[in-house]
Amino acid sequence: MSAHPGPRARLAGGLLFWYAVLGGAVAWAVHLLAGWGVDELTCASGSDHIGGVPLRAAVGAAVALPALATVGALLAAVLLWRRTHLPSEGEDRSVGRGRLLAVVGVWSNLLFLTIIVLGGVALLVLPPCQR
Amino acid sequence: MSTTAAPVPGASREQLDRLEEHWGERPSLRAWLTTVDHKKIGRRYLVTAGLFFALAGLSALAMRTQLARPEAGLLSPQEYNQLFTMHGTAMIFLFATPMLFGFGNFLVPLLIGARDMAFPKLNALGYWIFLFAGLFMWASLPFGAAPNAGWFAYVPLTGQQQTPGLHMDVYSLGLLFLGIATAAGSINFIVTALKLRAPGMSLNRVPLFVWAIVATGFMVIFALPALNLDNAMLFLDRRFGTHFFDPEAGGNVLLWQHLFWIFGHPDVYIIVMPALGIVSAVLPAFTRRGVVGYVLVVFAIVAISIISFGVWVHHMFATGLPRLSYSFFSAASTIITIPSGIQIFAWLATMLLGRLVVRVPLLFVIGFIVTFVLGGFTGTMFALTVFDQQVTDSYFVVAHFHYVLVGGAVFPILAAVYYWLPKITGRMYHEGLGRWAFWLVFAGMHVTFFPMHLYGLFGMPRRVYTYPSEPGWDAWNLVSTVGSYLLAVGLLLVLAGVVHAIRRGRPAPPDPWGGDTLEWSTDSPPKPYNFAVLPQVHSLHPTWDESSRESMGAGAEADRVLADGRRTLLTSELDGRRERVVEMPASSWQPLLLALAMLLFFTAMLFAWYPVAAVAAVAVAGTVATWLWPPRRPERELGVSA
Ligand code: HEM
Repeated sequence: MSAHPGPRARLAGGLLFWYAVLGGAVAWAVHLLAGWGVDELTCASGSDHIGGVPLRAAVGAAVALPALATVGALLAAVLLWRRTHLPSEGEDRSVGRGRLLAVVGVWSNLLFLTIIVLGGVALLVLPPCQR
Repeated sequence: MSTTAAPVPGASREQLDRLEEHWGERPSLRAWLTTVDHKKIGRRYLVTAGLFFALAGLSALAMRTQLARPEAGLLSPQEYNQLFTMHGTAMIFLFATPMLFGFGNFLVPLLIGARDMAFPKLNALGYWIFLFAGLFMWASLPFGAAPNAGWFAYVPLTGQQQTPGLHMDVYSLGLLFLGIATAAGSINFIVTALKLRAPGMSLNRVPLFVWAIVATGFMVIFALPALNLDNAMLFLDRRFGTHFFDPEAGGNVLLWQHLFWIFGHPDVYIIVMPALGIVSAVLPAFTRRGVVGYVLVVFAIVAISIISFGVWVHHMFATGLPRLSYSFFSAASTIITIPSGIQIFAWLATMLLGRLVVRVPLLFVIGFIVTFVLGGFTGTMFALTVFDQQVTDSYFVVAHFHYVLVGGAVFPILAAVYYWLPKITGRMYHEGLGRWAFWLVFAGMHVTFFPMHLYGLFGMPRRVYTYPSEPGWDAWNLVSTVGSYLLAVGLLLVLAGVVHAIRRGRPAPPDPWGGDTLEWSTDSPPKPYNFAVLPQVHSLHPTWDESSRESMGAGAEADRVLADGRRTLLTSELDGRRERVVEMPASSWQPLLLALAMLLFFTAMLFAWYPVAAVAAVAVAGTVATWLWPPRRPERELGVSA
């Protein structure tokens, strides 16, 4: 890493940083809205297919893709944490707050991954339209 | 660590005089009505919310008196309906959140080392709207026109046909009116905490109470629109015959429930989160150490505020949606207990590792932990759909949410009252009186609400104005009623303690507890400008760290005194780096006038005086336009420097 990254590198770094911190939360929100919305609306219409795709597969995608995105965010958060966790000489304030957000990112991504996986387990054991 | 001597300000006598001249207000009716000082507004929030708490508490006492025996005739069914609805609505909307916002208003600028909230006029507007909306709703009770269909106002019961009269119009308009104040307050907290922190206060040095208030602010911003939309549609359905909730015309009754709980469940955390922040703020002073696992508590605050938006359907487990849909919400409802648990364990570890100083605020914190954990325990039982379906709409639910709300909001609020009373009033409270109050409130709470679990499981439904004599119902109901009187006596003692402190209390030193956050390094009560010298923060516990303290004394720099005007410092969001100096607005009539115009608008809508409502709307628009009109003076003259 150069001492003064260019604007593009800074933008990419910034985006990766926030992906590490909030990626899991956003992925879980997408999972919840897509999984619940698709399931409830399709069942309410009396069908178990959505656009020719079986409902179970559609809801499965609403579990698997967000789960993958969360794993990515988790890895990014771990990377961020490794970069910031050793206190350096004359430490900059931004390192301290980067470390804080990295830890928040690691734990929250783990938490959101757990919720998404539990939703996946429910999909394995419950027929999608059972009331 | 502990300091009781008045801090020696690093500002000169002349600078202090100038600060006083710019920030001070001479007492007068005009000053009272036009002030924008966050401390005065915060105090008013506390007193007004306390008043609404008393009214809601008296409603509860009336209900418990009626329910002391089977087949009692003290209240009619119509009166009971209005009392439980006003009790629930007021406790949630007019007491818990405004009370916590009151502490937020008073404390956030002090905790972050600023001179006021980011938008002081908006802050004043928020208070006036809160006051008027509360009076608007309570005023309906003596006329027998108060809301009467439960605090969550389910359609179709709340439609015009099932509930004629003004009742539910008061509810929908009152909450829409109040919502303006809550949203304005939240935006103010977020901007204040992000932009006005003292230089050096990077995110990892922000007090936990401020984290909690900011998270609450974000939750309100995302949750409140759902409630506003719901209430606007309810009012339109009732008054103008639209069909948003009418299935026969293509509407949907479950739409109300979805929107209500998209707001309503985060609202539980909107209430509890700042209260948890209070606990994290109180503990360090009475354990003589920082809260264990600061980073994890921050994580818990952030995680809860996000996950709380994904659990709302657990209030609708009895509505017949597909089971798989429930599971997604069940998963989130179960997992949200983890961050809540982390906070509890962090506090327990803090108490275990610290040296306990058992004073009244700590007693209330311990009371909170015991009560809230019991409420959380019954809460996780509801996350199991089958159990939820068994006890839904029974007194078990009433027991659960009172454990959560009294435990999670009232106890921390009382801890906060005793903890910050010296800062707010400049007077110490009477310890013995405080201890009596604690034990009465604690015992009263459990004697009132624990039996509700039992008669709930024995099948007693909630929201009944009376009941037939049934095995297990009569005696336990009487116990609940006795408990509620005990609780009332305890709360009266709290009030007596506050009045006693104000009238007879010893003068409070700046830092009576040896607290760790910035409010303890300024006078009790603080001067109108809060800090003679804005601090330079070097750690998470600035009052415990020499260099932060010194930055306000010997280490003061001219660019942190800012005595030439009503000025404070703007800093960067993440790292608290100094950006520029900003000029803060002075007192103004606009907030009060705008709130009055809004009150006129909502009252006119309630009584269907549409021409008056149109005039009021024009007055609102006119006041907003004057408020926002760009000032003619150049920036330099305004005191804005580069
Ligand atoms: C101070 C002591 C309190 C007592 C004695 C008390 C008592 C009661 C009673 C008797 C009911 C009616 C139960 C029914 O008929 O279904 C009730 C309902 C309720 N209470 Fe309390 N309460 C107290 C404090 C609180 C607090 C502090 C809060 C919230 C911060 C609260 C929130 C509610 C809510 C939301 C309802 C439900 C209203 C409804 O069914 O629509 N209460 N309470």
